[in-house]
Amino acid sequence: MSAILSIKGLTKSFGRNEVLKGIDLEVQEREVVALIGASGSGKSTLLRCINRLEAPTGGTVRFRDAEVTAANVNAMRRDIGMVFQRFNLFPHLTALQNVALAPRKVLRTSDGEAERDALKLLEQVKLGGKADAFPGELSGGQQQRVAIARALSLKPAVMLFDEPTSALDPELVGEVLEVMRDLAQSGMTMIVATHEMGFARDVASRVIFLDNGTILEEGPPSEVLVAPKMDRTREFLARVLNR
Amino acid sequence: MKRVLLALILTFASAVVHAQGALDAIRQRGEIVICTDATYPPFEVKKDGKIVGFDVDVAEAIGRELGVKVRWVDSEWAGVLGSLESGKCDLVMAGVTITKERKDKGYVFSRPYFLSGQVIVRRKGDSRIEKPQDLLDKKISVQAETTGQFAVERLGVPKERMLRFDQVMDGLLDVRNGRSDATVGDLPTLKAILRESYSELEIVGGPFVKENLGIVAWRTKPELISLVNRALEKAFVDGTYAKAYQQWTGDPYTAATVAELEAVRNEGSKVADLPAKLAPISANPQAAAKPTSAFAFRWDILRDSWPLLLQGAKLTLVLTGLGLAIGIPVGLLLALIRLSPIVFLRPIAKVYVEIVRGTPLLMQIYVIYFVLPAIGIELGPFVSGVIALSLNAAAYIAEIFRAGIESIDSGQMEAARSLGLDYKGSMQWVILPQTLRRVLPPLTNEAVALLKDSSLVSVVALSELMRVGKEIATNSGSPTTVYLTIAACYLALTLPLTWLVRRLESAWQPISRPRQGARRLRKVAA
Repeated sequence: MSAILSIKGLTKSFGRNEVLKGIDLEVQEREVVALIGASGSGKSTLLRCINRLEAPTGGTVRFRDAEVTAANVNAMRRDIGMVFQRFNLFPHLTALQNVALAPRKVLRTSDGEAERDALKLLEQVKLGGKADAFPGELSGGQQQRVAIARALSLKPAVMLFDEPTSALDPELVGEVLEVMRDLAQSGMTMIVATHEMGFARDVASRVIFLDNGTILEEGPPSEVLVAPKMDRTREFLARVLNR
Repeated sequence: MKRVLLALILTFASAVVHAQGALDAIRQRGEIVICTDATYPPFEVKKDGKIVGFDVDVAEAIGRELGVKVRWVDSEWAGVLGSLESGKCDLVMAGVTITKERKDKGYVFSRPYFLSGQVIVRRKGDSRIEKPQDLLDKKISVQAETTGQFAVERLGVPKERMLRFDQVMDGLLDVRNGRSDATVGDLPTLKAILRESYSELEIVGGPFVKENLGIVAWRTKPELISLVNRALEKAFVDGTYAKAYQQWTGDPYTAATVAELEAVRNEGSKVADLPAKLAPISANPQAAAKPTSAFAFRWDILRDSWPLLLQGAKLTLVLTGLGLAIGIPVGLLLALIRLSPIVFLRPIAKVYVEIVRGTPLLMQIYVIYFVLPAIGIELGPFVSGVIALSLNAAAYIAEIFRAGIESIDSGQMEAARSLGLDYKGSMQWVILPQTLRRVLPPLTNEAVALLKDSSLVSVVALSELMRVGKEIATNSGSPTTVYLTIAACYLALTLPLTWLVRRLESAWQPISRPRQGARRLRKVAA
């Protein structure tokens, strides 16, 4: 089995502040990786360096056999979908138009076909009935599900989730996690930065504990979440689980 | 019949009483107020911040006669005569030509105190222009609403080849720049200006229209003119006049000059029988004799002038429309350059905006029309006006767009880019559609401001709404009526615009807050 994503020696600094201090990570096809760690540990930055929303300071990110560079990043992003903590839906477009935009403008799919596909994706996230709603008319959970459908619209090979439930009211978290669980079961390769330990335990094939810009510990959830080797990991888990 | 007679006697009496009142009022406040346009040598010019000239010396004599000081009020010519009716001043001294039309409108003139005439000024040695008939197929500049303009009109020069400026100087500058072929104006003034500057220009031939200049009062204060006449007679005798004449014209004061002035001494208003002459101005003699209130609205002026006003409004609308049609895309482009990922381009837009925002629009219009010819760029008044307005608007619109784009949450750009859209596509499909909705209110402000600012292009002889209004006001005798009408015209242009934008805004509501029914439901084939 060859790695779909391979990250080597990845560093990222903002000014004199080094946020990522040399990350090495390989992600296999159909793998679901949960990134856990305290705020500021570098989870978001790692995800944003993978699709180059942030340009890495050092190291390489390879998708399949090619390195992700400034030159090919637009093409690479078609294969790497991303879901944001704050949804970032386009407020001037309906749910359907949000999902159909990238196929229409990036793949030049005809409007009719793009909207048919978009409606299927909305049905997949159980929002077929909200196709003509504007983001402002949807709840946070619904908005995040539209955002997931939008990220899936280019049929990516990898999905990046940047704390997808952190901005949601607690009662809306479940519907989003359910959609993500379905997605994982369908075989999507996923990297999920999250504070939802239950999701990590049930869905992730691997858990990575990020601390202060380095990978401190990784392994199957049954090891990292249940019997962590490192003190830092234990402290972190104690904090989030006792919340 | 008896009744009518009684009414006439009463009105006559009240006019006299009122008349006495005018002199008393002046004595009481200790100063006589005289309006002028101090851009008119040798009569009056500003020197070191003070108004000086022939008229100033003559006015001193009038002040002495009354035993009061003289206070000058300086404004643009277009508003000078109107200030008599509104009571802003007692007299106008501005080298005003005595004409029947002006008398008919209610202006009362002193006896002629200066002899003038209309002369032609050409570029030195321009042999195409020798006599008045040569002007017929040329471009002629004049000062708007002066007897110079009237003389050129009477010659038969068509309107489209007559450029009307606010000031004599601008007309001369236009000839020097080679845009107009000649200018026509008052001999003494042109002589005085040419002596000081414009060595490239010359007066050709003598006056082709002779004119008598007088001092002006409003019809309700004829006794002021009696007083002025008395003061003038004294000044002729005691040498005050001769001294002023020689000082300011540079010409000797000769017996011939005296004789000529004496020959026309009866050309002024006949002050003694003035109340009787007043009656025909209005159908109602009672109304005529009453002092016109500054708030009287004269519908007859509107009836006569609405086609002109409509034309002015049309030009204002066209100028604003073109200004926006060019200014919005250019402004958007500047904003995009200012925020461009290509960093070295950014200063270009920044410098442009700072320069245009930091200088007055009036100056920009002057530069484009009067200064660019010096480097070989010749633009007509209309093109100059449109360019000045759109380039000016573009700078402000650029800042509106810049602020609008920057106000869009950065997550929007990230989401668009994460979907594989490039920078241009993200701007086009995600950022700008949101920006447009957001900048609509400030953009409307700018459109309304531009509509009003477009009045400034009148300095390059474009007859837009405000200019037309000023011209009508100058000669109508009721500036109140005209300016209120102009105000209404501007509102009639701006209110529909703001209404339209409000409609547009509510149609785009979904972006700002959820609203049922605002969405356009579309049937999508499943």
